[in-house]
Amino acid sequence: MLEIRNLTKSFGRGATSVTALSEVTFPIAEGEFFTLLGPSGCGKTTLLRLIAGFEPPSGGQLVLDGRDIARLPPNKRPVNTVFQNYALFPHMTVAENVGFALGAQGRPRSEIAATVERMLALVQLGHLAHRKSGELSGGQQQRVALARALAPKPRILLLDEPLSALDMKLRKDMQVELKRLQQETGLTFIFVTHDQEEALTMSDRIAVMNGGRIQQIATPRELYDQPANRFVASFIGESNFLDATCARGRLVLSQAAGPLPVSHPDGPVTLMVRPEHVVLGSARGGGLTLAARVERLVYFGTDTHVHLLLADGARMVARVQNALRGGAPCAEDDVIEVTLPTDALRLLPKEAG
Amino acid sequence: MVERGFDIRRLPGAATLAIACFVILYIPMVILVVNSLNGGQSISLWEGVSLRWYAVALQNEGFLNAAKTSLILATTAALVATVTATMAALATTRSRGFRGEGAINLILNQPLMVPEIVLAIALLIILAQIKQATGYMGLGYLVVAHSAFCIPFAYMPIRARLQGMDLTLETAAADLYASRFYTFRKVTLPLLAPAILAGFMLAFVVSLDDVVISEFLKSPGQDTLPTYLLGQLKRNLTSEIYAISSLLLLISVLIVAGSWLLTRKKT
Repeated sequence: MLEIRNLTKSFGRGATSVTALSEVTFPIAEGEFFTLLGPSGCGKTTLLRLIAGFEPPSGGQLVLDGRDIARLPPNKRPVNTVFQNYALFPHMTVAENVGFALGAQGRPRSEIAATVERMLALVQLGHLAHRKSGELSGGQQQRVALARALAPKPRILLLDEPLSALDMKLRKDMQVELKRLQQETGLTFIFVTHDQEEALTMSDRIAVMNGGRIQQIATPRELYDQPANRFVASFIGESNFLDATCARGRLVLSQAAGPLPVSHPDGPVTLMVRPEHVVLGSARGGGLTLAARVERLVYFGTDTHVHLLLADGARMVARVQNALRGGAPCAEDDVIEVTLPTDALRLLPKEAG
Repeated sequence: MVERGFDIRRLPGAATLAIACFVILYIPMVILVVNSLNGGQSISLWEGVSLRWYAVALQNEGFLNAAKTSLILATTAALVATVTATMAALATTRSRGFRGEGAINLILNQPLMVPEIVLAIALLIILAQIKQATGYMGLGYLVVAHSAFCIPFAYMPIRARLQGMDLTLETAAADLYASRFYTFRKVTLPLLAPAILAGFMLAFVVSLDDVVISEFLKSPGQDTLPTYLLGQLKRNLTSEIYAISSLLLLISVLIVAGSWLLTRKKT
């Protein structure tokens, strides 16, 4: 198990210093596929580089198996990295690349040869062992980089946006491949990406980061269904946000017909609802009902996006699945009734600005 | 869809100018080589093709001695310059930036900018004193001087290669349990080798070719190939000098071509 404790990293000094990571604390379980997700500059790569040892932390600890490794150089940590550009050694063959770490550790030749063979079989590249790394395709280089990082049996494998250089089709294949490798080896993977879909489909747990802080750590389903704040809700999937108020156990929305009983402390809140949960007309389970004018209809094949303008000028989107028959659910400029079902409503803390 | 930008090759006269430059550069060399094959006694009368003057040159004690001196000098100076340049290039590209880094670059490249005659005279003043004090008259003075002014020639290709090298390769090596020395030996040095060899060859040719500093600093009776040729010019001119020059040209061409092939390969 890896425990990240109060890990902080700032670059520069004095007035010009920038905090890339601030007081990050959380554990990563053994054998977990853990993803760091966030926009560029959120601190995810900095966190990865700190775990790898490429940068010293400004403060905090990294406890692996009861030992603080935060200040060890990278070659003294049982942690290996798959780099974004793969960083294969161009003057070496595939086999020499994969065997590099074992050579650096001074293992006997026979052991290196056996491990290299096993690793290349694992990534299905046995037939390319004697090629130079520059002669390989992007997908093959990616597999070599994986085999090279797995060969010395690290405790944790770090992956820095490893799929971003691949085209769409190859990327989907590698997603499946990576998940298979992780399950086969039982290794802890820490995966960095800015692609929410990649994160949702592959991870056991995801840490959403922004501005050098963890916003939420949860399973993909929890993250989508129960976002902790407005940032997470808007970064993962699409969301409608409406200003609302809680007063004496009731949720009051200025545009809605009636207040709804909720258990939430009094005060202003942000009401979040996913577009696919908004119902045109009235919903069976009840909810908040509002009147809205249809501003625009956008056809997406599987569904239609209905852009709605509410009475107070707020906007929201409803996503309606297209039926086989019947055409559009409504027409532009119609004034219709929409329902936000009670179980689809999420109350998020209201943020300043 | 191809947008036609400014193309210098399409300027009127560009082709003519380029051809003129090549003619001026290469025709004299062709004439030199042709003349070296003249079998006659006089340099102004053509008397048929012969390797006569090559034979004369290869039996000429003075030329052979000068050639030996030049080869020893160029090899030693190029070696010293290349090792120094490699260390300097590593220091200026692979360490955290340090105070005076820019100044160091400038100082290293000084021989490229200061007129060689100035350096020669400056060295002469000091070395003459040392010669007088120690009585040592050997090749050491020339080795030191040549090593010094050859450094920038070796430094430039090595530094360029280091700057172009992907830094994540060294990071990756460290990530894969390599010590700093192991990383240098297995990753940095092999990738740098073509540039080091190219730097060495460049330094070698520059040293082999040098007249000014050698002429000023040589001890009595000492001659490098260029100073020997200069001395011969002052006496009687025979086609032997053409033969020697042609041999020198051949060596230079081989070395420069070798250096070009080496740097071209891996980029």
